[in-house]
Amino acid sequence: MLSRAARPAFRVGAAALRPAPACSPLVAQTAGYATLREIEDRLKSIRNIEKITKTMKIVASTKLTRAQKAMNESRVYGETSQKTFEEAETKPIDGEGKKTLLVVCSSDKGLCGGIHSGMSRYVRRQLAAGNLPSDIDIAVLGEKCKAQLSRSNPKNMVLSFSGVGKAIPTFADATAIADQLCLLPTQYDSVKILYNKFVNATAYEPTIIEAFSEEAIKESANFSSFEIDDTVLPSLREYALANSLFWGLAEGHACEQSARRNAMDNASKNAGDMINKFQILFNRTRQAVITGELVEIITGAAASEN
Amino acid sequence: MSAAWKSAGLTYNRYLTIASRVVRRSLKDDKRLAAERRGESDLRFAKWENGKQGEAKSLNQANESGFAQAAQSS
Repeated sequence: MLSRAARPAFRVGAAALRPAPACSPLVAQTAGYATLREIEDRLKSIRNIEKITKTMKIVASTKLTRAQKAMNESRVYGETSQKTFEEAETKPIDGEGKKTLLVVCSSDKGLCGGIHSGMSRYVRRQLAAGNLPSDIDIAVLGEKCKAQLSRSNPKNMVLSFSGVGKAIPTFADATAIADQLCLLPTQYDSVKILYNKFVNATAYEPTIIEAFSEEAIKESANFSSFEIDDTVLPSLREYALANSLFWGLAEGHACEQSARRNAMDNASKNAGDMINKFQILFNRTRQAVITGELVEIITGAAASEN
Repeated sequence: MSAAWKSAGLTYNRYLTIASRVVRRSLKDDKRLAAERRGESDLRFAKWENGKQGEAKSLNQANESGFAQAAQSS
């Protein structure tokens, strides 16, 4: 208020002494007022963002412990199922004219760093390097990888599932997906399930587990020791597929939660840094404005004395 | 020799789903609520043809009607 009262006096005084450059400090000062308000608004919005990311981090942390428990339980399913094929020394059938199905286990939700795009990139890299046949069919679980892969490889897509990753994946999910995969018109000689392997809380890597076809199981070296009836072989295959899918889904879910926790942790930290920076800037600007006002008053007083 | 569910056109996984649903429903109320949550599955799927996404359908309904058809034709 003081400054506004002093301003006419200052203007008169300044105009009398130096007519031309008199307006320049005035402009700078009004700009100073505007930025002060802007900085304050900015500071407020960053504080809100920090609050949100912090809450999301806490939510992700609680979900992570549950997801990890589910992952450890599902790993038993998957590994036991896989053990059968290890003992039977089953090898995937690769070669010309063999159809392969790739199942990518991602989820619907984002805001968890590069976990989904990491998987999409892995698929693209493997396709480009020729490790996966170019006529491979892709089935995607979850919206995120669907969006990414439908842009780069729309011709390879055969099925997409959504609604994955809302909650901890259940075995009912896995069996339903496995059934739908079995209903596909093409007979696949090999099914590969791509999921994020949980290495530790900060690291994960895209990994492939094999789900074997009936032929591959039949041709495995140690197959005879299991005494499997031919009529139950398809059932075994379907069940093994569901087991592996469940494993992949649960492990992918745990990875996603831990990635989200880390992403939100980083976001809160960055927001904290920005708050500090803006707080200092805000204080400096405010100080500068006060100093400017004082200078104005003193100059005005000095000018009106003369 | 083949089991009854097999000749009805069910897959092993479908058989498992139905069997587990029956078991869950026959539990006592307090246990049943927790158990039924484990059996929930609310997925949607879409078929893709020539790089275009088809219509999104509910997975459970599709599975049920698909097997009903398979059962009728066999």
